[in-house]
Amino acid sequence: MADRLLEVSNLRTYFYTEAGVVKAVDGISLDVSTSETVGLVGESGSGKSVTAQSILRIVPPPGRIVDGSIKFQGEDLLQKSEGEMRRFRGPKIAIVFQDPTSSLNPVHTVEKQLTDIITLHQHVSRTDATKKAQLLLERVGISEPEKRLKAYPHELSGGMKQRIAIARALSCEPSLLLADEPTTSLDVTIQAQVLEMLKQLQVEFEMSMVMITHDMGIVADLTERVTVAYAGKVMEAASTRDVFTNPKHPYTEALLKAVPSIKRTRTLEIIPGNIPNLIEPPSGCVFHPRCKYAKGICSREIPALEKVEDGHYVACHLWRELNLEGRAN
Amino acid sequence: MNRLGVRGASQWSVAWRRFRRNKSGIIGGAIVLFFITIAIIGPSIAPYPPRSYAPLYQGDAGQPPSLKHPFGVEESGIDVYSEVLDGARNDLYVGLAASLLTTLIGVAIGALAGYFEGAVSEVLLGLTQIFFVFPALLLILLFARVFSVLVFKGLGLTLIVLILSFFGWSGVSLIIRGETLRVKEMEFVQAARSLGAGSMRILFRHIVPNILSPVIVIATLGIAGFILTEVAVSFLGFGDANTPTWGLLLNEGFPFIRTDWWVSLFPGLAVVVCVLGFNLMGDGLSDALNPRLRE
Repeated sequence: MADRLLEVSNLRTYFYTEAGVVKAVDGISLDVSTSETVGLVGESGSGKSVTAQSILRIVPPPGRIVDGSIKFQGEDLLQKSEGEMRRFRGPKIAIVFQDPTSSLNPVHTVEKQLTDIITLHQHVSRTDATKKAQLLLERVGISEPEKRLKAYPHELSGGMKQRIAIARALSCEPSLLLADEPTTSLDVTIQAQVLEMLKQLQVEFEMSMVMITHDMGIVADLTERVTVAYAGKVMEAASTRDVFTNPKHPYTEALLKAVPSIKRTRTLEIIPGNIPNLIEPPSGCVFHPRCKYAKGICSREIPALEKVEDGHYVACHLWRELNLEGRAN
Repeated sequence: MNRLGVRGASQWSVAWRRFRRNKSGIIGGAIVLFFITIAIIGPSIAPYPPRSYAPLYQGDAGQPPSLKHPFGVEESGIDVYSEVLDGARNDLYVGLAASLLTTLIGVAIGALAGYFEGAVSEVLLGLTQIFFVFPALLLILLFARVFSVLVFKGLGLTLIVLILSFFGWSGVSLIIRGETLRVKEMEFVQAARSLGAGSMRILFRHIVPNILSPVIVIATLGIAGFILTEVAVSFLGFGDANTPTWGLLLNEGFPFIRTDWWVSLFPGLAVVVCVLGFNLMGDGLSDALNPRLRE
């Protein structure tokens, strides 16, 4: 592909806890092209957030990236020193976290949080930085920006705080935005507004976006391609259309069935069981204990990521024989 | 809380509202203000200069309190009222300076020890713990004596401040380390890191401002603590004999406590009320700044 912005291959990020080694990310691959939105989907604990932290190299200890490569604009981020990495964080890659109440510093005003980052990366005066902060607030749809600049986070609503966190992430015009469940902590009505805004900003800022979510609705709405992760591994990667209409992995199918439908033409199915213990993951395919199609081979051999067709990959022993049900829309 | 955006309550104005409602805190604050006023204007309203024996030549040595000498006179002829006023300035100087210095050292070392992992943290924590288990008062007395006899002729208040601070920062450091360990796990720290902030910027712009509340409380209570330590050092005769402090007056009054009670009573009262004031104010601040009690 021509404009490959980010290429994560075979990433492994382990947490060395006292209870054992938690393989939070165990061989995830992901690529993002310029101006594209890619979804990274999975349940809680599937390694989505740790993947995002790994891309920025901000995995908190005792976590460590142990293997793989992360190429950004052709440069291997894993070879960079901490000082060099700092110049990528903000101006090149930025992240929006799930909960704006905890991702904004409670003791600083909105103005300080924004101008701090702007003056850190750009040689501009305080007044210019303040002007820029005000413009950013306007672009994320905050009314009366000059008043809001003086506010502290606790004086603002959740939706407003998330808009400010997004403004902060965009303050240095990154080429890649990692959105780590940016709407999960918001009301449904605000969610829609924020998603719509992210869509517009992505076009305006000409940036690429990795939308990390467990919500298949958001995936359908925003993304062009999707990677489905489970227990730190890639289950399926394909175009969003293929994932919905022609899923090849039982886990993808299960995720689609767990989304409620307005038409009520089918019952809502839940995925039985929980995400496995990542210290001692199940043998063979990590999903086999919860998979309704599982056969003997599934618990014995780890499935490789196989090519279904161009741009569609799946890690399942049985994908050829299964006839999985997608959703038409 | 104010969601309409009109310039609203910063955490400090919220804290001030809470503090105002706290009676004992306000009383403490008033006492502190009173002593600060005395410290500023005391020497200019004192009838006699520091360490002056003038009353001796007026035949007033050993006089009990009277209109001319409100707090009485020492057997040596020193006017107790003048000395208590001067003592306010000197004792407050020692308390404020030592508390400020220990807070700065304690915050710096505690924050670094809490933020970094590995060798830096181990070394700083080890150092803090060594200082924490020192028998501080004994070493302070030893250093005061060594410095005053061997190194300098006499012992200035600033030297006392330095000695007190050198042995007094470890408690602050341990508390700040704990607070830093707590705050550094918060998501806004990771957010700052994700936007390219370096360690020092994260530590001193994002973490430390979030632990200012306990720092303020510790510093206020520290003032009271250092005033008491200075009183103890001077009372035991290890202080600066040329500078009037409350401890020095207690030291001079002790041999005559059965007859000249006024030499001990007035500086003693000053110590008690002043220390009480700082403690009440510190407790009031602690309640006002405690996020768990905030409405």
